[in-house]
Amino acid sequence: MVARRAARSGGTVTAVTVPLVVLVVAACVALAGWASWFVVADRPVVLRQLGAATGVVALLLVQAVVAGVLLVRGDGSVSAGLFWAYVVTQVLVLPLAALWAFAERTRWSSVVLAVAALTVAFLEYRLVQIWGSR
Amino acid sequence: MSETRPTYAGPGRLVVAAYGLLALAATARGVYQLMDHGSEAPLAYALSVASGVVYVVATFALATDRRTLAWVAVLTELVGVLTVGAASLLVPDRFPDDTVWSRFGQGYGWVPLVLPLLGLLWLRRTGRPRAQ
Repeated sequence: MVARRAARSGGTVTAVTVPLVVLVVAACVALAGWASWFVVADRPVVLRQLGAATGVVALLLVQAVVAGVLLVRGDGSVSAGLFWAYVVTQVLVLPLAALWAFAERTRWSSVVLAVAALTVAFLEYRLVQIWGSR
Repeated sequence: MSETRPTYAGPGRLVVAAYGLLALAATARGVYQLMDHGSEAPLAYALSVASGVVYVVATFALATDRRTLAWVAVLTELVGVLTVGAASLLVPDRFPDDTVWSRFGQGYGWVPLVLPLLGLLWLRRTGRPRAQ
């Protein structure tokens, strides 16, 4: 791991991942805002919001592939198990909230979607912390 | 079942979701810490796993409307977070690394402290006979 840290070329990693991180967080905050507005309006989650959530998950998958490539090249320095556990969790949170949206046709599905989107944003923050922790 | 509201519907979705998240966070964290560097703070990590298991039980009970089990699990959490929270402040030497319940769940935005209270309120509210 020490050797890996030495081999880490911070420049390329930052250049590739920062726009992705910003995009993911912005998308999550936007989705959370949209869902929160539905909470206030007393409406359940609608299909278009699930479409947006699918977009966020697609971004997360792109990010996972990029992170995988960077790690294989030795550009990242992470505890692999911890990192991938967070990646998998992050990908699963929104689909679970989507299942809720079908089961609960009240405003509470919107609350859950808002919380889920903020959770993904928080997990993104933790991922950035973990990237470079070792 | 017919006289009380199910614990998983309406606002209960949020309660179940919050419990599910904490269950995952606590269990995964505890197991990872025990396996990765368990000898550094075995008590703290074992407590994290134990709290994770209690959260899993609570999530399952609330999601399936098993009220008695839910009461037991939620009360266990409340006692746990208060006991471990106090212990982590009184005898910090025994806790070289944090658990989910350390300092009353501060590392998790005090969610571990708030959630059992929320859970108890929710169980009490749904336990009353349904209106109409």
